[in-house]
Amino acid sequence: MSINFFTHFANQTIGTLGAGFSNFPWLSASILFPIGSAFVIPFFPDKGEGKEVRWFALYIALITFLITVGSYITGFDINNENVQLKESLNWLPNLGLTWTVGADGISMPLILLTSFITALAVLAAWPVKFKPKLFFFLILIMDGGQIAVFAVQDMLLFFLTWELELIPVYLLLAIWGGKNRQYAATKFIIYTAGSSIFILLAGLAMGFYGTGIPNFEFSHLASQDFSQKFQILCYVGLLIAFGVKLPIVPLHTWLPDAHGEATAPVHMLLAGILLKMGGYALLRFNAQLLPLAHAQFAPLLIVLGVVNIIYAALTSFAQRNLKRKIAYSSISHMGFVLIGIGSFSSLGTSGAMLQMISHGLIGASLFFLVGATYDRTKTLKLDEMSGVGQKMRIMFALWTACSLASLALPGMSGFVSELMVFTGFVTDEVYTLPFRIVMASLAAIGVILTPIYLLSMLREIFFGKENPKLTEERKLVDAEPREVYIIACLLLPIIGIGLYPRLVTESYLASINNLVDRDLNAVKSAVKTNIFSGNKKNEIFTAPKI
Amino acid sequence: MPQASEIAWLIPVLPLIGAVMSGLGLISINKKINNAREIVSISLISFVGVSAVISYKALLEQVNGYQSVEKLFVWASAGDFTIPMGFILDPLGSVMLALVTTITLLVMIYSHGYMAHDKGYVRFFTYLALFSSSMMGLIISPNLLEIYVFWELVGMCSYLLVGFWYDRDGAAHAAQKAFVVNRVGDFGLLLGILGLFWATNSFDFSEIALGISKSISENTLPIWAALILCFLVFLGPMAKSAQFPLHVWLPDAMEGPTPISALIHAATMVAAGIFLVARLQPLYSLFPEIQFIIALVGTITCFLGASIALTQMDLKKGLAYSTVSQLGYMMLAMGCGAPIAGIFHLITHACFKAMLFLGSGSVIHAMEEVVGHQPVLAQDMRLMGGLRKKMPYTSATFLIGCVAISGIPPLAGFWSKDEILGNAFISFPVFWLVGLLTAGMTAFYMFRLYFLTFEGDFRGDNKELQKELLVASQISLDEENEEEHGDHNHGSLHESPWSMTFPLVFLAVPSVIIGFMGLPWDSKFANLLDPEEAEIASQAFELKEFLPLAIASIFVAAIGITIAYQAYFARKLNLSILFAEKFPAINKFLSKKWYLDDINEKLFVKGSRKLAKEVLEVDSKVVDGVVNLTGLVTLGSGEGLKYFETGRAQFYALIVFGGVILLVAIFGFQSPSVT
Repeated sequence: MSINFFTHFANQTIGTLGAGFSNFPWLSASILFPIGSAFVIPFFPDKGEGKEVRWFALYIALITFLITVGSYITGFDINNENVQLKESLNWLPNLGLTWTVGADGISMPLILLTSFITALAVLAAWPVKFKPKLFFFLILIMDGGQIAVFAVQDMLLFFLTWELELIPVYLLLAIWGGKNRQYAATKFIIYTAGSSIFILLAGLAMGFYGTGIPNFEFSHLASQDFSQKFQILCYVGLLIAFGVKLPIVPLHTWLPDAHGEATAPVHMLLAGILLKMGGYALLRFNAQLLPLAHAQFAPLLIVLGVVNIIYAALTSFAQRNLKRKIAYSSISHMGFVLIGIGSFSSLGTSGAMLQMISHGLIGASLFFLVGATYDRTKTLKLDEMSGVGQKMRIMFALWTACSLASLALPGMSGFVSELMVFTGFVTDEVYTLPFRIVMASLAAIGVILTPIYLLSMLREIFFGKENPKLTEERKLVDAEPREVYIIACLLLPIIGIGLYPRLVTESYLASINNLVDRDLNAVKSAVKTNIFSGNKKNEIFTAPKI
Repeated sequence: MPQASEIAWLIPVLPLIGAVMSGLGLISINKKINNAREIVSISLISFVGVSAVISYKALLEQVNGYQSVEKLFVWASAGDFTIPMGFILDPLGSVMLALVTTITLLVMIYSHGYMAHDKGYVRFFTYLALFSSSMMGLIISPNLLEIYVFWELVGMCSYLLVGFWYDRDGAAHAAQKAFVVNRVGDFGLLLGILGLFWATNSFDFSEIALGISKSISENTLPIWAALILCFLVFLGPMAKSAQFPLHVWLPDAMEGPTPISALIHAATMVAAGIFLVARLQPLYSLFPEIQFIIALVGTITCFLGASIALTQMDLKKGLAYSTVSQLGYMMLAMGCGAPIAGIFHLITHACFKAMLFLGSGSVIHAMEEVVGHQPVLAQDMRLMGGLRKKMPYTSATFLIGCVAISGIPPLAGFWSKDEILGNAFISFPVFWLVGLLTAGMTAFYMFRLYFLTFEGDFRGDNKELQKELLVASQISLDEENEEEHGDHNHGSLHESPWSMTFPLVFLAVPSVIIGFMGLPWDSKFANLLDPEEAEIASQAFELKEFLPLAIASIFVAAIGITIAYQAYFARKLNLSILFAEKFPAINKFLSKKWYLDDINEKLFVKGSRKLAKEVLEVDSKVVDGVVNLTGLVTLGSGEGLKYFETGRAQFYALIVFGGVILLVAIFGFQSPSVT
């Protein structure tokens, strides 16, 4: 099979050279190219410093980014709501496993985000001196693996890529992390691997549903008429699995540990991309494939989203460790993704999508800055820092810009996405008015809490008198051009989206509209629970006829 | 040249371009740009200058009766929703633009002198340009959402500028407090905007008012809901315009450089709340209940600010509480359904209060030469006195400001304040009475400031008093700091350079004459904003109604000035014996600022810290505790299991197998599996 597999790509590639770029396997290339290139790294002559390796990794990551951009430009039509750039190849027909990749509006922005953040993460990993070969090898594997998670259109393959991506993350945490890295890495792997059993179970169940020969393709699953009870069962399982990843309180405790121990580049990937896998999967599976169950569970998502926002904002405020503080702020921001997914309005759902992209950029920038600051101060405890801003002025400016972005200042992407979620949810006629009022008011408390913890943090690090202990012991040099460049690369899209959000929203709007229409139809036919307005009877409780 | 209203979008864009350019310069070529500071400041001033020219041309066009211009584009859309953005230029906007650009320009010129020796000169000008851009954007916003955007941006600029001297702890705290308290208001504003959008499907000011009145008359929207929404929106202006009880941030914000206090925290940004309420008049005028609340809040603020200002010893804090009080007047006007009077007072107040603040900056600048760069000393009036002889321009303009704000005709403050009081007399007589009393207090505390600062003998050389003050404020000057400013200590008082006195003199002109724009019998100002209303007002004007009220307020102001004169200039009255010792409770209540800061500190700051700590405890002990416990249990059971299982693959397979069986068992019977 595998020979077949590779000759297919060889043929495709050769065909491309003759026929231009129209049928170049863009997505497969963006997945396999970084993974394939990673295997070249072990054969590099080792000089210990890793200078060649990091340049190599940077080039590969950049080329991968260009490939994904190329796929967006040449093969992606933003007005088409369906899966595009599709490539399908039977891999193991006996298992029903196919290599199906493609991208619709929900995948494409995240694929671009992944390759973009990974390229910056490689640049951020410049100072890594310990086992550089292995480090960059793992980063490149992760690059391909994560693009695959967003690009695959087959549930079994999705499960495989989901698991595959755990290995590099585990190793990156366990080898390059801080003091408690073993504990954090183990906790991470147990949490994610344990919960992903539910993906496998639900995937198998859905694949085998109604037929003897399993078929795991998303398009096939989407056309299935699953019964409501079946959907609910699958939904719960998937919610747990993705809820760990997103994360949803109370399944979040792996995150502060993992984020607290990771090095800056890994950190950027964890916050920038890994959390988005949870949100993406919730949209893709729970909202898209299981609309009947989604109609039942959406209110729960909203409640959980509000809990995320407030709970994590409060814990973040009390945290005295910088990394953990930012980690909790990530959790808080993910609450908006949940509310957006739970709202049955295309404005809210596209807000959730935008929040993922926006947090990918903002989270990555903040975590990068944490790493860069740690390199200088060698401490993450806020109590040991003070008045750092007098020595590191540019760093201070970058921190301020990114913190303001994170607290959803207008003109930056976070504001637009939160606003879209709020507006979408409030105008969402599916929910009763009291429910909307209460939930929106509670979520809006986040508007007050976010600046409290972020500005307190800035104040404690940069403002005030210099801490003589810190300034004498450590050499506090200001930001170097590489660091300014990385933040500039991240701030550019953040501000761009903030000024004119349609730059990004247009690319996925068609798919989101399609998804929301499907969910709305499901709601209209579903039993109205207390939270939904009206009390029409439905016809779904009778078993579906296939 | 095109019609100015058509290119009004350039007004905020130009300073923004300047700010972005110098901001990028600061990050990339920091040293070079700091050496070329004059080039930066001159180019930024010219950017704002061009904006000012366009603004004045636009104002001229509006005066000549051109139509208002509104241009929109789709900013975001999804499903059936579109969110438009764009700009609008109408009489109200053009007046505000002219005001803001003028004061910004003057403050920029002033800053050139005031910040001349500051390391952050370029950064300061960059922030100033950024602020002016956001403020002008706020003024030309055509809908609530865009206002919210710029509302936050001016808040951010305020944060950056209050925390400008970030090595001072006081500045750091004040900046954060300003931002967070404003966010409390924005919380309401955001919810209110969302709610209004839900109710009317629009962000546009007039469409919202139409939609709400339609929904009310058709009974699709209960009145209580509309009232709540209106109140939520009002929370935003309450915070931004420092209305009770959200005024607590404004006095603290005086930690920022004085030009900022003049520009942002007296003349422009704090007026944004008044401006928004004026924009929302079509909506608020539907509900007398809301009007009453606005008037009530305004009156309380007005009285509170003035009463606290009575006992302040810090020159800038005194002016800050005076600002709070004057903002209360404006809000009272809004509540009385007289937006024109409110906006008119906004404009006159912007002129004389900016002048007063800039004058105080000039005084502080001079005092720093004597007592060093310690705000506790340089701003304390107990160390001042007798400055009139050394600083003729500053003291003269300050005196003009005091007369103007006290409401002595024919200076600006008289006309605008009297119009508000007149409206209050018709709508809410009780509030008029409070307003009248406050007018007397205003006259008293302003002249108290003037006499303490500029008259009598200079007390700045009193080292013992200096030490006492330092001890009282619990600040210990470390030796390093003292050395740094040691050479300043022997400087002498002198008038500030021309760049600082020119804006003072310039602003003195409108402080004297701008009141004639709004004469109650022939208000050119009202004629511009609302010709019909002006027509009615000028016809309804009767001297015998106007005179008693006017005489009453002049009389009250005169009493205030007389008491201040007797107490602080002639020294014939000793207020501390007459008043403070007889009513210690009231005195303490006032000097403790009505205990509002303490309540705020205890209830909200400590409360939220405590809550956050508790949640973190729960998180690490309970939530994570359960996880670690499960970890231990599974470790134990895994130890047991490994004797039964030889490898993980089989274990997985078993679970998978079991799961599939389970699913088949559950669903196999319900849905037929064969097509």
